[in-house]
Amino acid sequence: MLISGIVALMDSIPLSVKTVYSYAQYELGVSPRGDEKVLDDFRETVRESAPVPIDRVIVCRASSAMVDSIVGKWPFVVFGFEQGDMRYYINKLNGGKVIGRFPEVGAPEAMVSRPVATNLNLKVGSTLLSPDDPDSYSPMPVKVTGIVDTDQWIMFVPIEYHRLYHFPPVDGLLVFAKNLKDQHTLDSWALKTFKGGRTRLYAYQEVQKETDQAFRTLFAIVNVVIASLVAVLTIIMGMLFNIYQSQRVQEFGLLQALGYPRGAILRRILAETAIVLLGSWILAVFIAVGLLVLIKVQMFDPRAYAINATSATNFLYSVPVPIMIFIVAAFDVVLRLKKFDPVRVVERRLV
Amino acid sequence: MIRLDSTSLVYSDHGRTVHACRDVDLEIQQGEFVGILGPSGSGKSSLLYLMCGLKVPTSGRVSYRGSDLQSMSIKQRDRLRLKEFGFVFQYPYLIGYLNALENVLVAQPDPALRPEAVSLLERLDLADKLDRYPHELSGGEKQRVCVARALLGGSHVIFADEPTAALDHTAGVHVMSLLREHRGEGALVVVTHDPSMLEQADRVITINDGTIQ
Repeated sequence: MLISGIVALMDSIPLSVKTVYSYAQYELGVSPRGDEKVLDDFRETVRESAPVPIDRVIVCRASSAMVDSIVGKWPFVVFGFEQGDMRYYINKLNGGKVIGRFPEVGAPEAMVSRPVATNLNLKVGSTLLSPDDPDSYSPMPVKVTGIVDTDQWIMFVPIEYHRLYHFPPVDGLLVFAKNLKDQHTLDSWALKTFKGGRTRLYAYQEVQKETDQAFRTLFAIVNVVIASLVAVLTIIMGMLFNIYQSQRVQEFGLLQALGYPRGAILRRILAETAIVLLGSWILAVFIAVGLLVLIKVQMFDPRAYAINATSATNFLYSVPVPIMIFIVAAFDVVLRLKKFDPVRVVERRLV
Repeated sequence: MIRLDSTSLVYSDHGRTVHACRDVDLEIQQGEFVGILGPSGSGKSSLLYLMCGLKVPTSGRVSYRGSDLQSMSIKQRDRLRLKEFGFVFQYPYLIGYLNALENVLVAQPDPALRPEAVSLLERLDLADKLDRYPHELSGGEKQRVCVARALLGGSHVIFADEPTAALDHTAGVHVMSLLREHRGEGALVVVTHDPSMLEQADRVITINDGTIQ
């Protein structure tokens, strides 16, 4: 339970990164370096050479606001879109019902998605960006006018307002493949084609790659911690098992004196041990799942934090515990029976 | 049936050499009730463990129905004890998580013997205690369960090592008569230091310092 809990909580950090920024898998973001005219060259190359059909290229602005995570505040993109592109973007990201309305042209208004509203405790009429908030800054208070029902994290304001009041003062592009399944191919092609050029690309695979790299060290530490835990648990359980088997010396002595072969007694003890360990492990997995689901429902979901309470990985990490305990127990029993003289038991010299 | 020829057992106990049995010659016939009498530490229990194959002699020969026990593998000796012999030990050892009936069946793990186990317990006045666990039985009742366990399957030889030591005199006499009455055609070898328990024995052997007197 302890190990599964640690793994699930550790895993929730990169999972949160991938969840919060998963909108990026629907698009390829592009921003110019130095001169906005490079975007025209980019468009031209995409139109002529893209390996998959392109659905739309939309012009946008992007700045940032903060969202909450289990490890503090994370920057999140606030897009500036033209009116028609707002609806396109929501449709592309499988947006459903909208509570409220879309932001009006040039107004200090914003639309957010359900997870963002949950995370920041926003309702229609709440302030998303404010001149008083250096982390989520805007010179004018930007009110939420609509909340769209989608699992993706989204924030956007009218591009006209963004152009007037937000940094950086450059347009960017979002490029959408016709089919979502082709977006990865498009992203890979663009990353390769425009490498070293004057455009900065933002692709979901980069987010994944950077996240995996960033957490590699953390997981290496977690692995060491878990290995130590397994060792400690094995030693403790091995000692308890040794005490338990000591209390059964009479039984083993009696059975051997009656004529049960040593091998049969050994097989019986090992089978009992395996059943107890397997049963305990399955029970512990069920309890751990229950507790993690409870944590998810009570603590994570209300803040839109990501955690996978039922991931097999959480429980696979705990598999070495029963295996190691079984090995220690088997070793203990084999040693005990090897030196065992049933006569000493039935003569009460060993009890 | 059981024959010992010049059998000796020597072992080391905390650096001290112990001559548990010295050149013992003995033969036990089928159906015979043999008592082995002697003071504490005289070697009577060692003699019994030599006869049943729980101990291997240092020298000499122990045979059962003509087969040399020393030449048998450990597995063969285990099988011989399980199939042919019954045991009653000084202390009424029962397995704590099994009830009386299940404890009797431990001797012969064969479900077909369940009716016989029930019948034995009934004959030993334990008909209403079949499903009782050891902690729910008195010392005498436990020893009677052990007697039933030893008798199950028609053991050819019953070895009893101080079977009455943990009981009062009346209960001890009762256990001895049960063993004698219910052993059928099997031989009965009883080790004790109490001569009154061997009044019904066909033969009483006295042992002292490992030597039969």
